[in-house]
Amino acid sequence: MTAESGIEPRGGGEPAEPLFELPPELAIDTAVARRVMVGFIRNQLAQAGFGRTLLGLSGGIDSALVAYLAAEAVGPENLLCVLMPYRTSSSESVADARTVVDRLGCASDLIDISPIVDGYFGSDGRSGAGGPGALEASQLRRGNFMARARMCSLYDRSVTWGGLVVGTGNKTESLIGYSTLFGDSACAFNPIGDLYKSQVRQVAAAVGVPEAIIRKAPSADLWPGQTDEAEAGFTYPELDRLLFWMIDKRRTDEELAAMGFRASAIERVKRLVAVSEFKRQVPPVAKLGPRTTGVDYLYPRRRPGSAR
Amino acid sequence: MQPLRIALAQLAPRLGVLSDNLAAHHRTLAEARSGGADLVVFPELGLTGYQLQDLAAEVAMSADDPRLLGLAAECGGMSAVVSFVEEAADHRLFISAALLEDGEVRFVHRKLFLPTYGLFDERRFFAAGDRLRATDSRLGLRIGLAVCEDFWHLAVPETLALDGAQILINVSSSPGRDLAAIHEVGLGTAASWRNLMRTYAQLTTSFVVFCNRVGMDETISFWGGSEVIAPSGEALFTAPLFDEGLHFVDVELGDVRRERIGLPLLRDERPELHLRELRRILAERTGVAADADGDASGADGAARDATHEAPAGHEAPAGHEAPAGHEAPAGHEAPAGREQP
Repeated sequence: MTAESGIEPRGGGEPAEPLFELPPELAIDTAVARRVMVGFIRNQLAQAGFGRTLLGLSGGIDSALVAYLAAEAVGPENLLCVLMPYRTSSSESVADARTVVDRLGCASDLIDISPIVDGYFGSDGRSGAGGPGALEASQLRRGNFMARARMCSLYDRSVTWGGLVVGTGNKTESLIGYSTLFGDSACAFNPIGDLYKSQVRQVAAAVGVPEAIIRKAPSADLWPGQTDEAEAGFTYPELDRLLFWMIDKRRTDEELAAMGFRASAIERVKRLVAVSEFKRQVPPVAKLGPRTTGVDYLYPRRRPGSAR
Repeated sequence: MQPLRIALAQLAPRLGVLSDNLAAHHRTLAEARSGGADLVVFPELGLTGYQLQDLAAEVAMSADDPRLLGLAAECGGMSAVVSFVEEAADHRLFISAALLEDGEVRFVHRKLFLPTYGLFDERRFFAAGDRLRATDSRLGLRIGLAVCEDFWHLAVPETLALDGAQILINVSSSPGRDLAAIHEVGLGTAASWRNLMRTYAQLTTSFVVFCNRVGMDETISFWGGSEVIAPSGEALFTAPLFDEGLHFVDVELGDVRRERIGLPLLRDERPELHLRELRRILAERTGVAADADGDASGADGAARDATHEAPAGHEAPAGHEAPAGHEAPAGHEAPAGREQP
């Protein structure tokens, strides 16, 4: 197997603007990655006794890639994509999500989460379940609530669909904690959680995710005009490179600085990683009994008798 | 000379489901026999799956377990290497590989090096084996068995070859990782393994047989890519990555002689030099100074304490090697066969 560059759009003709920027050290063998991730989805479902899966499809690249991989793993007829826009969500996002559904030929559902969110925070000056104070809630509170409203809706649909929720978070956002705990990060398993955003783009291009989705600026779409890169203050290629050398390759601060990373960037990213450690781990349980889950009661998640 | 037909059983065991894996081994042995195999090699923990954690004790069996003997019974006129969790009489658990021949468990190798770093946690759940030696086989040659990480330590292939092995067999459950595109096969693990095995085959002028599992345990994907390497270091066969399959490879045993005559590396090995320097190094590590020769009796004595107190051998029930105490508690056996000061 050979590595694909994945940087140039396919087809001949004039040299076009690259689809995305891929730092060379992050380039992976997309054929192997695809094979492993598709096998992982299939295996996780089979071991749990499920044949179907579902995911929240935002119109962004992460969930689009997972949709392509899931459709390949279990067939589009066993995949449900749930679109869960809020009334301020970009209409372009919904259109891009619909393109993915049409291309894959999978089932889809549209759940408008506006009444859930407005029912809590209130709207048009009338307070909701969250009381009068919630009318003034920050964008952050609203964004987190939306992510959790989507999680609730998705897990409810998992019952009627009879499938497991497949996760769509990538390694970059997980490491810097750019996700909502028990919100968008909630899932039964995650095939792309060890891929940096740049690598998500590389694999997405290789499996045929629509170019418009690969090109557009990543956004949590929690408020109009929000983009990840503006919020984080880094471009993804910069951030991915720094995380890769810092975490995967264990470079010290001094070594990172010698490689040309700004001291302020190193400091800031280290802090983001450290303060979000809690988001990447199962909540701790106080050790009291002779055998405690996760401490000295250690079994594989999937073992004889564990399938439903 | 009749070629030796090796069958590589690149299987995907089911984690913790011993009965299913046992059935797969029986089916595979039958298929290998009808394919004319002389030697069938199954992967590390092919009978149990790898990522067992606390399940290890629940799938463990002794080396004379009827289920193992049942597999041996299918090895009439055929040799097979199978791997399982072995529970010793003192209830230590080992990752073991057994040579089955003519209805008997002929030899058991207990994994010597248990990786406990990175994604590995073997030392938490298993005991490390204490003995490294080649064994005679019905194939008319000596075999050196090793399990996965054993091959990441230079002394293992070297010792086995010096002990007369002409075929080094490594059974593995190697998790695939590091997908960087710079690697020859898109998988860092595979690239490293291939380097190791070609080098060992060439330096020991022996055949290297590598059987690595496929399938997934939990989050880990095993990459397969089982191989047979000639004593020249040339890969004779490479199985596909990730796909399950039974692969037959014919090898000319005469290649060992040809290679060793033309390239007498093994003849030129200096085990006595190696041993002398190892004794010196051990003496220095334990704080007992060696003299200029590195051969003083004091240093020697200290080194002997450090090297010779290997816990007892663990000969298989029907073993035909030294009549060593089977399953003696650790550390009571005489240091057999080492030179005395």
